[in-house]
Amino acid sequence: MADLISLKEIKRHYDVGGEVVRALDGVDLIINPNEYISIMGPSGSGKSTLMNMIGCLDTPTEGIYEFEGELVHKMDDNQLASIRNRKIGFVFQTFNLLPKATALRNVEVPLIYANMTKNDRIEKAKIALISVGLEERMHHKPNELSGGQRQRVAIARALVNDPSIILADEPTGNLDSKSGVEIMKILDKLHSGGNTIILVTHEEYIADHADRTIHLFDGKIKVDKKVTKKRQVST
Amino acid sequence: MISLFWENLRISLGSIFGNKSRSILTALGIVIGVLSVTLMGTLISGLDRTFEKSMSFLSRDVLIISRMDWFGGDMDWWELRNRPRIKEDYVEQLREKSQFVAAVAPMAERGGSIFRGDKRIDTRFFGTTPEYMATNESADVITGRYFTDGENRSGARVMIIGGDVADALFTDEDPIDKYVKIGSHKFRVVGVLKKQGKFMGMFSLDNQAVLPFGTFQRLFSRRGWMNVRVKVNTDNYDEAKEEIYGVMRQIRGLKPMEKDDFAINQSATMEAQYKAIKLAIGGTGLFITALSLIVGGIGIMNIMFVSVKERTKEIGVRKALGATQSMILGQFLMEAVLICLIAGLVGMGLAGGLSLLINQFFPSSMPVGLAIGSIILSVVIGIVSGLIPSYQAARLDPIDALRYE
Repeated sequence: MADLISLKEIKRHYDVGGEVVRALDGVDLIINPNEYISIMGPSGSGKSTLMNMIGCLDTPTEGIYEFEGELVHKMDDNQLASIRNRKIGFVFQTFNLLPKATALRNVEVPLIYANMTKNDRIEKAKIALISVGLEERMHHKPNELSGGQRQRVAIARALVNDPSIILADEPTGNLDSKSGVEIMKILDKLHSGGNTIILVTHEEYIADHADRTIHLFDGKIKVDKKVTKKRQVST
Repeated sequence: MISLFWENLRISLGSIFGNKSRSILTALGIVIGVLSVTLMGTLISGLDRTFEKSMSFLSRDVLIISRMDWFGGDMDWWELRNRPRIKEDYVEQLREKSQFVAAVAPMAERGGSIFRGDKRIDTRFFGTTPEYMATNESADVITGRYFTDGENRSGARVMIIGGDVADALFTDEDPIDKYVKIGSHKFRVVGVLKKQGKFMGMFSLDNQAVLPFGTFQRLFSRRGWMNVRVKVNTDNYDEAKEEIYGVMRQIRGLKPMEKDDFAINQSATMEAQYKAIKLAIGGTGLFITALSLIVGGIGIMNIMFVSVKERTKEIGVRKALGATQSMILGQFLMEAVLICLIAGLVGMGLAGGLSLLINQFFPSSMPVGLAIGSIILSVVIGIVSGLIPSYQAARLDPIDALRYE
């Protein structure tokens, strides 16, 4: 099977007040289709930087990044925007929904940037919302939804463009445990449906949902292991 | 791109109407700017049209020989004061000596009152000959007739009145063959002039009465203001004017080195003067009002910076979801243009309304070109003042923007 993502010797250095911060310091990583990966590590270990790198929000200072054969490290801003739009679905800790737009319109946004016609857009957005169980709440605005529901809107938004990979950055971090369980169930279901998912977390029990766990420390991969005892969400 | 356009429109409207008081205050600058620019333009074009209309009493092929230049010149007042009067026998001399005269008429003038019973109107009297009609295209008798050569020679007590005089003295009657009085002298009204309206909205051209020249001279003293109107028979006005200058110098007996002691005025003189005044008023006015537009534009720019700052996180999210720099640029540019466009339309509407109001006192009307121009202008201001903030938004780093709280 061809690699979905291949990172070779990725370095990301920042210049902070004359001092070089090595957020990523030589990361090699291959991600295959339909993998379910969690990224863990203490604060400052480079989790977020790695996530931004994989999500094409950032480009490496050094190294080679291939996404489905496309050379991301050589792309300009417009190409990066396009690859984010077509191939990557983001789920953020703080949901990051547009507050004045309904759930349906929030989910439509990536399709607008993909230049899809209105009818196709609404149809696809509805399907995505139904798949996360929000068919009843499509026309509600974020402030009329619970935290769990908001995160489900965000997942629908991440899904709607049929991305190659879903990046979830602490998706349960702002939720109560019950809502967190619901969200993880949805992510598990998406994975069994064939999606590739990367999860950033610092909770072991969340990381246990994944098949593979990567530990980062000081900008380097310290542990990269298959999860053997996979915890199943009780229903 | 069409779906993106509607999306941007929707976002912009949401942002503008979501911050109503802020949007109104910001737009006010542009409203005032557009209002003053269009109003200024409206007034100038009103002035233009009035001038053209007013000038019709003075055709281009008419020269008016007077003691004074209409517009100053560089003479000292005491020299002007000592200039000899224009005399009635110049009329015949001009006719004899100039080859360019098509028609020539004396035009004596003075103020006075006409009475009819207990009605009275203060007006201007003109004493002239029947040939006057040939020298003034806009003077037309609509009812009755003009006086004849015989009446002119015999000094008959007949007069032709302007529309205002007719309205004042004959409310619901036909003035023809009715009698009016100048002092103790009875006059028969033989004709009424077609209405010409006001000159530059200032004084009425219809408040006048025309008497036969002979009658005028008998009634009033010979000492009065007098011009000679000459209609030339050529299109080459300059050549005709040059020749008539020569003839006049000859009539006046001027030696070659002596300065002219008379003036030849024509519509071009007035036109040149008018254009200079218009340029001064219009130029200064438009410059000052354009300044207010620039201030309005700065207000827009300021509020757009605030809007970008406020929505930094949203920009980050949109970028993460695949918005390119130009899409973000378009979104904020649309907002700036939309505020300006709405403000421009409001300003134009107000200007239109105000020009109707002003029209009651001074002729003014908003030309279509100006209306379209002011709309284009407000769009341009929107683009210019929105460009830097929008560019700033477009250039935001998505990671920094997402982290922004």
